[in-house]
Amino acid sequence: MSEHVVVAPLVVALVTAILTLGTRRYPRGQRAVSLLGIGAYAVAVLALASRVVPLGVLTGSGGTTETLTYQVSNWPAPFGISLVADALSAFMLVLAVAVVVPALVFSALYVEEFAQRVSYHSLFHFMLAGVTGAFLTGDIFNLFVWFEVMLMPSYVLVVFYGRAEHTRAALQYTVLNLLGSAVMLVAIGGIYATVGTLNMADIARRLAHAGEFGIDPAPVLGLGAILFAVFALKAGIVPFQFWVPAAYRAAPAPIAAVMAGVTKKVGIYAIIRLLFTVFGTATVGGGLAPARIAEGLGFGMAGKSFLGLFGPVLFLMAIGSILLGGLGAVSRNDLDDILAYSSIGQVGFIVLALALAATGPQAVRTAGLIAALVYSLNHAIAKSALFLISGTVYEAVGSIRFDALGGLSTRRPILASSFFLGGIALVGIPPLTGFFGKLLVFDTAGKAIVAGEPFAGVALIVALAGAVLTIAYVSRAWNRAFWGSPSDPVTRSYQPTALVAVVAAFVLLVAVLGIGFDPVYRAAEAAAHAATDRTEYVEAVAPEVIG
Amino acid sequence: MSAVTVGTPTILLASTSAGSEAGQPQVVLAIVLGLLFALGTFLVLRKDVVRVVWGVTIISQAANVYLVTMGGLRGAVPIISHGGAHGEVTDPLVQALVLTAIVIGFGTTAFALVLTYRVYEEHGTIDLTEVSGR
Repeated sequence: MSEHVVVAPLVVALVTAILTLGTRRYPRGQRAVSLLGIGAYAVAVLALASRVVPLGVLTGSGGTTETLTYQVSNWPAPFGISLVADALSAFMLVLAVAVVVPALVFSALYVEEFAQRVSYHSLFHFMLAGVTGAFLTGDIFNLFVWFEVMLMPSYVLVVFYGRAEHTRAALQYTVLNLLGSAVMLVAIGGIYATVGTLNMADIARRLAHAGEFGIDPAPVLGLGAILFAVFALKAGIVPFQFWVPAAYRAAPAPIAAVMAGVTKKVGIYAIIRLLFTVFGTATVGGGLAPARIAEGLGFGMAGKSFLGLFGPVLFLMAIGSILLGGLGAVSRNDLDDILAYSSIGQVGFIVLALALAATGPQAVRTAGLIAALVYSLNHAIAKSALFLISGTVYEAVGSIRFDALGGLSTRRPILASSFFLGGIALVGIPPLTGFFGKLLVFDTAGKAIVAGEPFAGVALIVALAGAVLTIAYVSRAWNRAFWGSPSDPVTRSYQPTALVAVVAAFVLLVAVLGIGFDPVYRAAEAAAHAATDRTEYVEAVAPEVIG
Repeated sequence: MSAVTVGTPTILLASTSAGSEAGQPQVVLAIVLGLLFALGTFLVLRKDVVRVVWGVTIISQAANVYLVTMGGLRGAVPIISHGGAHGEVTDPLVQALVLTAIVIGFGTTAFALVLTYRVYEEHGTIDLTEVSGR
C-alpha cells in the first residue's frame, strides 16, 4: 500500500535542487525557482501532515492519527526501502518547514548575489532533501544514505565563505562527520548481521520476540550504542559537542540557523526513533552467552530493557550538555558564539527529558517525549530566529562582537525587540513556546520523582541550574549588544529593512504558537504516542512476509 | 584507492569460502579489519592534513570490508528462507550496500582532498598544529 503523499516532500526538494542547478545563468529565475520550490515543499509537508494528524486531533474534537507508508518502487517491505510517515515524522517535518522557509527567504536577501548563483540554492535544497529523507525513512541503511545527503551540502555550506577560519572549521567538521559515517556503517552492518534485516519496523518486531527469531539481543545493544553515539554527534550532545561552535560561526547566518534548528533535530529524531520505536521493547536476554558473561562480571544486564540501560547514559550526556553549554555561553563575547554554546545547552534539556522518558514508567515516558518534542520545536524556532538576527546585526553594523556593539535597542528598535522576544523564548517566559517547553521538562522531572526514579531529583536541580544559566547569558547578550549608549559602529549602522521584516515575522511565531499552544501540545502528544506505539508502526509497514 | 587493494582479497576470500571449513576467512578478515582500523586511527591522529584524510579514507574502506564480512561469507544470514533447496548463498544485499557506501566514499574523499588544498591555500601549511594555532 503506497501513499504518494509520503514521498512528495522528498521529490519536491530534490527536483527544486536540480532545477536551481539548471537555472544558474539566470539569477532572478534561479531565486524564483528556489523560493517557489520551498513554498511547494511547505505545501507538500502540510498536505502530508494533515493526512497523518487530521485537524480534528489538533483541535481535540476527535479523529485518529494515521501511519502512512510508501514502498519505493513497490518492493514489499522488508526487501524494498520503506518510507514511513507517522505523527512523529510529521511533527519533525513541520518543524523543519517552520525553520527553512524563513531561512531561505532570509538567504535570498542576505547572501551575496554571486554566491547565490554559484551553488547556494541547490546546496540548500539538497540539504533539505537529506533532512526530509532522514525524517521519513523506515530503513536504517537508507537513514545512513540520507544522513550523507544532508551532510555533504553542509560541508560545503560551512566552508562557504572560504577564508582561513572557515576552511579550518570545515576541515574539523568534515573529518569528524566522515568518521561518524564510517562508524555508523559499521553499526548498521553489525545490526544487519545480528538481526537479519535493515527495515526498522522489522528490527523492532524481531527484537520484541528475539527468542523466536534466534537473535541474541546483547550484540544489538552494543551496536545500538555505536549508532546512538553517531546520532549524538549529529545532535551535538556532550561529549560530541566540540565541533558545534566553530561550524556555526563559520557557516553563513541562515545556514547556522538551519543547522541549529533542523539538522540537530535530525539527530534528536534519530535517537527517539532508535531508542523508543526500534529498541522500545527489546530486552537483554538472560540465557545467551554474552549476557551470562556480563552477569558473571557483575554488570547484571540480563533481563533489563535497552531503554533502561540507555537511560543513565542519556542522563549523564544531558547534564554535561546543559552545564557545559550554559557555562560556555556565559563567557563568550560574540553573538554567534553565545548562540552556538546555548544550543549545546538547550539540546541538553531535550536529552534530559528523553533520559527521564527512557527510565520511567509509561506515564513518565509519554510526558518526557512530549516535553522533548515541544522543547525541540521551541529551540528550533527561537534559536534559528536568533541566528538570523545575529546575521542581520552583522549586515547592519558589520560586526557581532560585543566590543563593537552596544545600544542597538535605541538605533534599531525592531531588531532589538526581535532579539528580546527570541531571547526570552529561550529563557522560557510565558506565554511563549519556551515557557511550555521548560514547564513540561520540569513537569516530567516531577512525575519521575513521584514515580521514584533514582536520578529525577538531580535532573530537576540540573534543569534549574540550566535555566538560571540561560537567564544569565541571554541577559548578558542583551546588556552588551542592545543596551547602553550606541557605539560608533552602531551609530553608523544602516537599516536592512527587508531582513528585519523577515526576522521580526519569524520570531513572532514563538508568541503565536505559545498563545495558541493547545494544538501544538496535541501534535506533540500524537507524536509521542507514535514514537512509543510500535504495534502501529510495525503493522503499517507490514514486514510479515518473512517467517 | 585502498578500496581496490583491500576489496579484491575480500571477494577472493568470499568465493573460496563456500565450503564447510569457512571459519578461516572470518578469522583472517577479523585480523585484517583490526589492522585497517588501527592504521586508519593512527593516520587520523597525525598532524598532517593529507595523512588525516588518508586515515579517514582507510577507516571508511575498512567499514566497507566489515560490511561485506557481515554478510556472512558462508551465506549464514540469508535475507529470505530458501527452504534448503538452493544450498548456501552469500547474501547479495551487503554487496549492494557496499556499492552505495563506496560511491558516497568517493564523493566525500574528493571533497576532503579539495578542502585540504583550500586549507593549504588559506593557511600556507597543512600542519594541523599551525592551522589551529592561528
